[in-house]
Amino acid sequence: MPIGQTLPFTAVRWDDVLFVVLAIMLLGSALLVVTMRDIIRCGLAMIASFASLAGIYVLLGNPLLAATQVLVYIGAISILVLFAIMLTQTKNAPTRLVFQTQAWIGAVAAVVIAAIIAGTVLTTTWPSTGAVAWTATSDIATMLFGQYVLPFEVVSVLLTAAVVGGVLLARREPPADKEDRS
Amino acid sequence: MTLAARTWGRMSLTARLTAILLPLAVLLAVGTVVGIVFILPPTMDFLGANMPLVRFVVAVVGILVLTIPTAFVLIYMELKVIARMNLRVGPNRIGPWGAAMSLFHGFKVLSKEDFAPTGADLTVFTLAPVVTFLASVMTLLVIPFAPGIFGQDLNIGVLYFFAMGGLAVLGLLMAGWASFNKYSLLGGLRSAAQIVSYEIPLTISVVGVVLLAGTMSMNGIVLSQSGSALDWFAFKQPLAVLIFFIAATAEANRTPFDMTEADSEIVAGFATEYSGMRFGFFFFAEYVNVFIISALLVTLFFGGWTAPINWPWPYNLNWLDAAGIGILWIPIALVALVVATDILGAAIWLIGGREWSAPSAFGLGLLIAGAGVTAAVGLACFIAFDWVQGIFWFFAKTYVFVFTFVWMRGTLPRVRVDQLMGFAWKWLLPASLLNLFVTAAAIIILNQPVIPR
Repeated sequence: MPIGQTLPFTAVRWDDVLFVVLAIMLLGSALLVVTMRDIIRCGLAMIASFASLAGIYVLLGNPLLAATQVLVYIGAISILVLFAIMLTQTKNAPTRLVFQTQAWIGAVAAVVIAAIIAGTVLTTTWPSTGAVAWTATSDIATMLFGQYVLPFEVVSVLLTAAVVGGVLLARREPPADKEDRS
Repeated sequence: MTLAARTWGRMSLTARLTAILLPLAVLLAVGTVVGIVFILPPTMDFLGANMPLVRFVVAVVGILVLTIPTAFVLIYMELKVIARMNLRVGPNRIGPWGAAMSLFHGFKVLSKEDFAPTGADLTVFTLAPVVTFLASVMTLLVIPFAPGIFGQDLNIGVLYFFAMGGLAVLGLLMAGWASFNKYSLLGGLRSAAQIVSYEIPLTISVVGVVLLAGTMSMNGIVLSQSGSALDWFAFKQPLAVLIFFIAATAEANRTPFDMTEADSEIVAGFATEYSGMRFGFFFFAEYVNVFIISALLVTLFFGGWTAPINWPWPYNLNWLDAAGIGILWIPIALVALVVATDILGAAIWLIGGREWSAPSAFGLGLLIAGAGVTAAVGLACFIAFDWVQGIFWFFAKTYVFVFTFVWMRGTLPRVRVDQLMGFAWKWLLPASLLNLFVTAAAIIILNQPVIPR
């Protein structure tokens, strides 16, 4: 007999079990990011949290989004964040810095964001069926380059501007002439 | 003293052995019968009913096991090929032509002390090789080895591959940081900068192939190149092949781009403080990576498991099964082996005269007959099963590229780190964008149908 949709002897669906496990991993690692003192470990916990989120995307029926999450957030952004931390922190400096000097502002921001998300969740009418809708890659492509092509291009221009600005800020001024260097 | 103990004391050794072994044999026999009659059918039913799950587990175990011979063959190949290129002999002590060298290398690594430096972050230090190795192994899951022989045919296969391949750098970065050593940290930082930079041209160069094939599934890409060698994407995307080859070399940290472990500059980079099996896993991952990028190059640009020539004459093997023998061919092959061995051995013994003792004559006969029978069976399987053909072509093509990577390591000097980064951003990235633009324009102009899947 095939393994059923639910856990044996219970009415709990496997999907729900997976979701709970992934959600606990997601929230737990997200909590570790803000509670741990060692900043590199915080970064690694952030990566674990991104990975759990990718798992949840797969569970929700969108492997494309999950792969993009892993590729962009873990493979590029987190790596660059870790890179920057490792470049700026020396081993001789205290690695356990007290870095939450803005705890109050952070708390206010967290409460505001939580309120906004709660409002959105409560006001949205969710589809009642629990079916997983598998999203095809071509559907996303058609939507992104058809209906939403203008926002897409605006975001691209914004990112390009950010890259150019970053390069401009990081550029070292070329020495005016030879005398200055000596 | 009980009766049983007294009896046991008086028994002879043979009697004691019998007393132990006889019940055991009976138990095993009964167990086997019970197993076959009562346990086997439900188990098979259960496995058959959960075919997708079973297939997945088998695929995962299969690719995990596949990494071991792959790494061993690659290590031996690298030692031997580079030695030959340097006019040396290379490993020649263990096994024929030193072929068991990498096996014993493995034992040596296993038996070494698992050392961690003082001040290292032990958790991260231990996890780093795991991350690197698993990232490599997980990419193998989507590579199609032959028709029907692949881990999982994801419809986002290419994207999955790059997502998982990008995780390897995380392990290197973790290793570099956790080692508590500035050379390791430098190696880790170098690897992060290098791999993040080279990932961009690598990914963009593949987009042209995805446009031509109309799908991101690895299997679909192979199928859209089926036909002869002229249908391979290498001939439609020559620039992309070049970019992919260079960028993949950098991704796998191979010479001339092995800045992460440049031993003349930063000792051994991220691997300085590692020893024992932790180090072993890094090297496993590195050699498996060489195999993987060769396999990906073959899959994307050189037709994957398809044959390079289109066999013009139809063939069928129905005559093989004319008498309805089917599976009986296996005992027939065994009988042929025995008979051929006897005849050849007798011939060598009779003709060779006093030079040959009987065992060595028959041993040589067995060798020749075994080679012949293996060749015959292999040829028959090659013609009869398309997956045998697929595996043959896939591995043949892949090892051509593996050899190329080894060759490069034996030939080219290491580049400088600023040259490396400048090359990625100033040359490879514009070239890959140009390739993408030209491909897209050509598809629109020639109006090739792009089938969204």
